[in-house]
Amino acid sequence: MRLYMREKVLELAEEELQAVLEQARRLEPKAIAKLSEYCYPKVFRYIFYHVNNPADVEDLTGEVCLRMVQSIQQQKGSFKGWIYRVASNVVTDFYRRSAVRQVVDPAADSVEDIVDDTDETGHLLNQAQLKEGLSHLTDEQREVIILKFIEGYETEEIAHMLEKSNEAVRALQFRAITTLKKILQTEK
Amino acid sequence: MEKDLETILDDCIDELRKGGSVESILAKYPEYKSELKPLLELVQAMEQLPKPEPSADAVSAALVGIGEEIALLHPVEFPGLKKKRRSIFGKLFQQPRLAWTLSAALALVLMFVGISTVSANSVPGDILYPLKLVTEKVSFLLAFSSERKAELRLTFSEQRTKEIRQVLQQSDKLDERLLNAMLKEAQSALEETPNDTSAIFLAKLNAVNTYQKDVLESFRPRVDSANEKIVNRAIRVCDMRGRWIRGMMRGNWDETPERRSPAPHQEGRRSERRGWGPGCDWMR
Repeated sequence: MRLYMREKVLELAEEELQAVLEQARRLEPKAIAKLSEYCYPKVFRYIFYHVNNPADVEDLTGEVCLRMVQSIQQQKGSFKGWIYRVASNVVTDFYRRSAVRQVVDPAADSVEDIVDDTDETGHLLNQAQLKEGLSHLTDEQREVIILKFIEGYETEEIAHMLEKSNEAVRALQFRAITTLKKILQTEK
Repeated sequence: MEKDLETILDDCIDELRKGGSVESILAKYPEYKSELKPLLELVQAMEQLPKPEPSADAVSAALVGIGEEIALLHPVEFPGLKKKRRSIFGKLFQQPRLAWTLSAALALVLMFVGISTVSANSVPGDILYPLKLVTEKVSFLLAFSSERKAELRLTFSEQRTKEIRQVLQQSDKLDERLLNAMLKEAQSALEETPNDTSAIFLAKLNAVNTYQKDVLESFRPRVDSANEKIVNRAIRVCDMRGRWIRGMMRGNWDETPERRSPAPHQEGRRSERRGWGPGCDWMR
C-alpha cells in the first residue's frame, strides 16, 4: 500500500489553520487529513520526550490524532493548547494503564532508533540526556521546556496554550532551566 | 522598573533566537553574567538538538486509522435495509449467541462497504485513498478466473485515468506515479487476458485504451515540456497497444512475422515479447 505523503512537514499559518479547523469540524475528510498531517509531527515530538519506547511514541501519537478526530466538533478555544492537552491526557492514561511509570533509561530501547545520538555531531547535549533531565522536572516545567525548545513556541503562545500569564510561564521556564542545568551537571 | 532575572532570561532567549551570540547577549547584563551564562549555554544546546521526526510508515498507519474513523463518523445509509433486516433476521436474532455472531458479521460487512463507498471517489493525497487501493487489492485477490482478473485490472487502469484528470483539474499538475500506474494496470490487464477471450472484452480493452489516449492528448497542452515528453511516450504506448488489440480482435495477432508465437524457450510475458511491456520501459 502506498500513501501519497508530503515530503516536508506541513506548516499552516494561523488563518489557514482556522480555515482548516472550520472544515474539519464539519468532518470534511480532506480537512481532517490536513489537520492530522499538521498535528502528527508536533504531537510526536511532544510525546517523544514523555515516553521511552519509540513504538509507544508512535502508538500514542496515533491515538491523539484519533481522539482529535472524535472530538474536533466540540473543540473550542486555542486549538494548539487543546491538542497538547489531549496529548498530555493520552500520556497520563498510558502511564496509568502501564501502572508503573518507567524510569527513563538513556540506553534503553534506543532513542537513537528514531534520530541519531547527537554526540557524534558535536552538540553539548543529546536527546537521551535531555529526556533523562526532563523526567526530573515537574509536569508544568516539562511542558514549558518542550513547548518552548522542542516545539519552538514563544512565551506568549505558551501562556495562551496553557492558560497562564506570561509571568507564570517565565517563572516556570527559569526554574526548569536552572533545575535541568543542575541535573545535567551532576550527571557529567 | 528593574526587570527580574526570569524576564531577563526570557529576553536573552529571544535574542539568542534572533541570532545573537551568548557573549554579546551577556555583555548587556554584566551583573548577571555568572548566573545567565550556564543557562543560556543549555538553552543554545537544546535549540540545536535535532528534532525527532516520525517515520512515514507511522504517519501512514495513523492516517489509515483516521480514515476508518471518518468512515464511521459518516455512516452510509442503505434504504430498505432496516425493514429487510427486521423481516428476515427477526427470528434468528431471538437466539442471543446467533444474534451476536450475525450482528458482528453484519457490522464488519457494513463497515467494509461503508469505507469502500466513501473512499471510491478519493484521489492521491486524500485520507481515504489508501483504503481505495486496499479495496482494489482485496477484490483482485478474490477474483479467480484470469478473465475476471483482467477485467479488474482494466477497471483499476480506468480509475487511475480518472484520478489523473481529477488531480490535473485540482492542482494543474501531472501525477507521474498515477500515469505510470494507469499504464501498468492496462499492461497487466493485457497480460491477464486469456487467448480465448471474448470479443466483448477485447472491445472493452480497445475502448479503454482509446479513452486513455484521448485523455492523454487532451491534457498534453496543459503540461510543461518535461512532462510533455512523458505524455508523448505514454501516447505512443497506447498507440502500440491499440494496434495489438485490434489485431487480436481480427484474430491475426500472432500471424505477422514480428508477432509470431514465441518458441517454447522464449515463453515470457506477452507484453515483453511485443515490445511495450517491462522490457520496453515506457518511461525511457
